[in-house]
Amino acid sequence: MTQHNKISVSVNSTEKASSHFRAKGLNVVEGRTLNGDVRLRANVVIVGSGAGGSVVAYELARQGLSVLVLEAGPYVPSEKFSEDFTQSLEHLYADAGAQTNKEGDLLVLQGACVGGSTVVNACAAFRTPDFILRDWQEKFGLVGLSPESMLPYFERVEKHLSVEENGEHEIAKHSQLARQGANKLGWSVKPLKRNIRDCALTGHCLSGCKTDRKQSMLVTYLPWALASGASLYSDVMVTRVKATDGRANGVIAEVRNADGAVQANIEVSADLVVVAAGAIQSPLLLQKSELANSSDQVGRNFACHPSLFVAARYPMPVHPWRGALVGVYIDEFMLPEKGGFILEAGGLGAVELCLVTEPGTGAPFVDYMRDAKHYSGIVTLIHDHNVGRISWQDGEKRIDYALADEDFESMLAALAAAARVHFAAGAEKVFVPSTQSLQINSEAEIDQVLAELRNAPQVLRMVSYHPQGTCRMGADPANSVVSEGGECHDVAGLYVADASLFPTSIIVNPQVTVYAMASRIADQILARRDEYFSEMTG
Amino acid sequence: MVPTEQAMSKATNTPAFMSGLEPLTRRSLLRGLAVSGMAVTTGCSRLFGRKDAPEVLEFTSLSESEARTVTKLTAVLLPTEKYDMPSALSVVPTVKNVDVMVGQMPKQTRDLLGLALWVFESRPMVSFKFSSFSKLDDEKARDYVLAMQDGAFFERGITSTLKTLITVNYWRDSRTWPGLEYTGPVTEKWGVRRLGNAPLPLV
Repeated sequence: MTQHNKISVSVNSTEKASSHFRAKGLNVVEGRTLNGDVRLRANVVIVGSGAGGSVVAYELARQGLSVLVLEAGPYVPSEKFSEDFTQSLEHLYADAGAQTNKEGDLLVLQGACVGGSTVVNACAAFRTPDFILRDWQEKFGLVGLSPESMLPYFERVEKHLSVEENGEHEIAKHSQLARQGANKLGWSVKPLKRNIRDCALTGHCLSGCKTDRKQSMLVTYLPWALASGASLYSDVMVTRVKATDGRANGVIAEVRNADGAVQANIEVSADLVVVAAGAIQSPLLLQKSELANSSDQVGRNFACHPSLFVAARYPMPVHPWRGALVGVYIDEFMLPEKGGFILEAGGLGAVELCLVTEPGTGAPFVDYMRDAKHYSGIVTLIHDHNVGRISWQDGEKRIDYALADEDFESMLAALAAAARVHFAAGAEKVFVPSTQSLQINSEAEIDQVLAELRNAPQVLRMVSYHPQGTCRMGADPANSVVSEGGECHDVAGLYVADASLFPTSIIVNPQVTVYAMASRIADQILARRDEYFSEMTG
Repeated sequence: MVPTEQAMSKATNTPAFMSGLEPLTRRSLLRGLAVSGMAVTTGCSRLFGRKDAPEVLEFTSLSESEARTVTKLTAVLLPTEKYDMPSALSVVPTVKNVDVMVGQMPKQTRDLLGLALWVFESRPMVSFKFSSFSKLDDEKARDYVLAMQDGAFFERGITSTLKTLITVNYWRDSRTWPGLEYTGPVTEKWGVRRLGNAPLPLV
């Protein structure tokens, strides 16, 4: 039996944290160094080191609580990032980048490494739209999540993460074209805000930022949490949350070797458990733990912003891999009554071009690739309905998600709008992101070509970067999993802090919403610290 | 295991065990295909930079029949020499890249890919004068790919997956990038400085 004592943090201060602060990298306990039975003790154990888990870890650790973060994925230091998308998928993404729905027509990309999806996202930083928060107030009784009460949290995390509007030098050619097209159409278009310091404009955001400019959890909240006394273990898969008499009191976890055999069994005792493994793994963990599901809502209400990459050929070279990955967005149709979607101009690399459309066979395919430097792209994001479900069946996760008919209409509307922007900007041809070889040669053809599409499996080439909604927050325990404070209705001391909390999809990139909600949840925990923590673990 | 033509029912052109695969449902098949298709974008990463001459390569994961199917599809899909680009068969080891990727697939995905390749190879027996795909001449093979691409949803799924499998394994090779003016990794080339961790916030 190995006893790993937690770092004692009896007195916490910025000064003390500064003395433990590392200028580069993280002091991570890698799972491969563990063997046999391991027992750990902490005030708070956090499952997942992504956007939610890292923020909670720092906010609690800096207040003197002993915090243990368990991450299922590996620790990949940023200097190891390859800037090669194929390699990055294998090393940094869930299921080596091959996580799909049951039908196989929706790819769900999630980070699966220390730092989670914050390591591999595009840095787009939106606050939760006010109308979404009001909707949550009205329909789910989340009165404490008003735009006014969330404002300090948005401001706090944006300051911490250097969120700034893109400067003109960060509007790459692909984004300049989208802006030009939107302006010509009279549509609202704005520079994106991003969490990045002094962007080097490499265009490799989806492969991780090799020079630490992206302000992911890897270079912000995690090093800050560790400097404040938290501990971080990688390669540790939590398999069960422990609870006694309706009170969470730890987790069971394991480390597997390269052959898949268990090399270490880990048992953590804790006063509080925070599940922040993301909108797919969090409900699976609760289901496997047979906890928090009296409402039968755990795993239900899955939404994901199914997106399309709408590529177009321009007469002039664009070199879509050059410059900041995302530059501007078009919010003309953001409100549900106007369509409920946004468009984000974005770049991509050579290999990714093979994935986004069906240009034809033989000469047409080679011609398509030979023109790679002439392509520009627009990503569509829709306000999809919570029609999906995540479940654990026969020892495997299952993602059920089929586009609702009304969401299919939104997808077509977003696709048509993206095509119009391209043509307004001077595109010669738009490639429909479908499994059929469909191309649009003029604005006049848009409706006619899109009429070829129907809502059926294997029609659209959909990618989700934003799974959400599977442990939804709400005031009523009968139809929600988690209370407004972040604690599960059914289990005291069991919190959820990730995008699974969202009662509806939020249309925009969710990272800032998760950071802000996690900050608020940390405050809620601290407000009840006397109730939860009888003593500091040391 | 890929069934032989002899093992197939003459009446239905399907092997006897195919009825047992019905519960394998199109959905699970397609899921596996999508997984394998996307896995192609990841699976060969360990090969990155490998530039062995194709003639010395041996296939360790693809069966002989599967390698024939992939080779034929590569020839039909990527006639790159005609465009003064590196050959997808004699310069870039596209099929070998696929072979290694297949070797890294989980068993379930590998089995489903095997089934998909068999389906793709065998369906021409009905509609293309009883010739398997790899035995079709290039023109007919191309017509067959186009027909599959416009076919039922599972045919589209199979075809898109196999095409992705092959094209990604060609264009991931850095020798194909100059023709596209694609720059690949740039940070080290540009000498970009690493910033390290963000400073601790002032509380």
